[in-house]
Amino acid sequence: MKKIMLVDDEMHVLRIMKLSLEKQGYDITTFNNGQVAFDALQQGWPDVLITDIQMPRMTGEELCKNIELKYPERSFLIIVLTSRTEIEHREWSAKINNLQFLEKPVSMRNLISKLADYFAQH
Amino acid sequence: MKLSNEKPGFIMILASLLVMAITVYVLFDNQHQNREKLAQEQGLGLARLMSSISWSQLSTGPGQMSLLELFRQGQSNPDFAYGVIVDVNAQVQSEVTARGIIVPVASLPAEPLSWLNQRIVEGLDGHSKFIESHAPLFQNGELRGFVRLGYIKPQLDFSYAQMPFIATLTLPIFLLTPLFYFFLRQEMKPLRKINESIDKLTKGQLAQSVELTPSSEMSQFMERFNQFIDFTQARMQQLNAEQSDLVTSGKLLSYKNSKVESILQTMPEAILVIDKAGVVSYANQKIHSLLGLDPVDVINKKPHEWCKTAEVINILSGSHNKGAAITISSAAISSDQSGQDKKLDVRTYPLFAPTDDSKLLGRLVVIRDITEQHFEQQRQGEFVAQIAHELKTPLNVLSMYSESLLDDELVSEKHRIEAANVIHDEVERLSSLIQNLLSITKYELGGLLIERQRVRILDFLQDVFDNLIKSDRVKGVRFEIDLPREMSALFIDKALMRIAINNLMTNAIKYNKPGGLVTLEARESEHYIDISVLDEGYGISQQDQQHIFDKFFRSEDNNIREQTGHGLGLSLTQQIVQLHQGELSVKSTLGTGSQFRIRLDKDKDSMAGN
Repeated sequence: MKKIMLVDDEMHVLRIMKLSLEKQGYDITTFNNGQVAFDALQQGWPDVLITDIQMPRMTGEELCKNIELKYPERSFLIIVLTSRTEIEHREWSAKINNLQFLEKPVSMRNLISKLADYFAQH
Repeated sequence: MKLSNEKPGFIMILASLLVMAITVYVLFDNQHQNREKLAQEQGLGLARLMSSISWSQLSTGPGQMSLLELFRQGQSNPDFAYGVIVDVNAQVQSEVTARGIIVPVASLPAEPLSWLNQRIVEGLDGHSKFIESHAPLFQNGELRGFVRLGYIKPQLDFSYAQMPFIATLTLPIFLLTPLFYFFLRQEMKPLRKINESIDKLTKGQLAQSVELTPSSEMSQFMERFNQFIDFTQARMQQLNAEQSDLVTSGKLLSYKNSKVESILQTMPEAILVIDKAGVVSYANQKIHSLLGLDPVDVINKKPHEWCKTAEVINILSGSHNKGAAITISSAAISSDQSGQDKKLDVRTYPLFAPTDDSKLLGRLVVIRDITEQHFEQQRQGEFVAQIAHELKTPLNVLSMYSESLLDDELVSEKHRIEAANVIHDEVERLSSLIQNLLSITKYELGGLLIERQRVRILDFLQDVFDNLIKSDRVKGVRFEIDLPREMSALFIDKALMRIAINNLMTNAIKYNKPGGLVTLEARESEHYIDISVLDEGYGISQQDQQHIFDKFFRSEDNNIREQTGHGLGLSLTQQIVQLHQGELSVKSTLGTGSQFRIRLDKDKDSMAGN
């Protein structure tokens, strides 16, 4: 079973994503800020990490940078949910490999098919 | 008439008197000399003639009509005094005399050489003098005696008898002098006027042309002189006019100059003028606040001598613009004094000669401080991004939940209720966000107008409180309302004030500890009504207290971060309170709770409410 980590400070978002993705047969763990998610990576890596950007304690941007620093050999995909456009994050995201953006509002169908495509290749 | 003007007259009278005196003197002197000369010549001639006559013929006895008597009678000279024949012993042999004349005694010369001679002999009375000529007399070649002929030596003296003669002589002079003088005066009159005219001219007054005397011989000269005066006068007037023009234009120029200078100094931008050689020739005071330099530090220097920023030097030294092109650029200069980075807008414009568009004089450099605008732009950008985020977050939830309702597999009864609730909450959140955004935007554009009405504060606060505790937002906190029995009515905008108090109450609920107390409290004093909202929440750090009223400020505190919020509530609340000319203040201790107080001024309020 593919493991997916969900990081968002919006409780409702976590709930509905978890519900939807579990239906697709993924193993879902949820975190409500970047810091707890980052800490959890020490226990093991997921196959995909989905994170919001604006969060307390550690933002999505910081989380990505920290992962890149600490785990340069990372193999999992990071999907960043953003209310801005991808272009606006280009500056910091350019240095991070294996990173995708998904603009809000997010369609769960889109996300599910994106994941399916990804897993079909990897 | 001044005495000095008559000086020529006096001199002329004196001169004429002198001339008269000299004339008379010379005349008399001449007469006298003629008489003396005549006496000398006649005497000597007669004596020599008689010397050739023999002694015997001359020395006749007394009473006889002698030759001597004949000589006397033939004598016409009125000065003839006496004629005497003496022997060698000086004894008088015969004599003839004019009336009243006594023959003076005189010795006779012994030397043959001085026998025939002439001499002056004094009369017996002691004051009359005679010119006496004597000659020897012979008888048969033997000296027998002498003949002495005396003439009165004429004296220089005036007698009254001569007065008519003198008068006749001097009268023409006496008459001519004043005549000449008056004539001269007449001639002098224009000269005097010329004098006066020149005097006036030299004193800078306006002189008049000198009136012409038609008969004057000087008329031609006068005409020329008048032309000269007219010309000089015209020239003087022209010079005066030119000078006053010059003074006026000088004043105008200095006024214009100081006006331009004051405009340049007052301009909010720093102004530099760089000449063709690349040297700064003018700088206003504003460069001090913008570049941290005084005008004296930069004037007569090239930019690289005082500017540290390469980018700015490039612009100033003209490598950015070729001749007439306008360069627009901005650069950050690290100011020496504040050490703060400033965002500057440096523009150069070519300066052309006013009369010749093709002649480049140098460049005008305008430096503007755009730090504020830059930050404002950044804030605007952040604001828009924040709005996007705040709008998209609930939209994201809405999107996901609504989508989930379409999914048959997920739609259990329980999920549907949950989804509906979430959607409802998010819509409300969106709605409140949009409302606050609109209000804030309106306020910032100056369009948020306050509509005051008389409001009974006691009832109003109770109503706000009741509505809030009935709403869904209330979760796990306790409420208290603490109002005095009586309170004044105030003129306030009820709708806006409700938003302000609601925002404070919502925050107090949101950021409270579980089971914490939220209190709405009001107090009235002589001048103020204070409305306070108290909580027992996490409190706000000192550092955060300085920013909580900023737009979109959100604390980094995790307890705060765990709550949804858009960072607009307190900003809007403060603006609403300011519209009411009130004060919003905060007191807070970390871990204990916060108190937000709205203070409304009763005096200002009643004035504004009317």
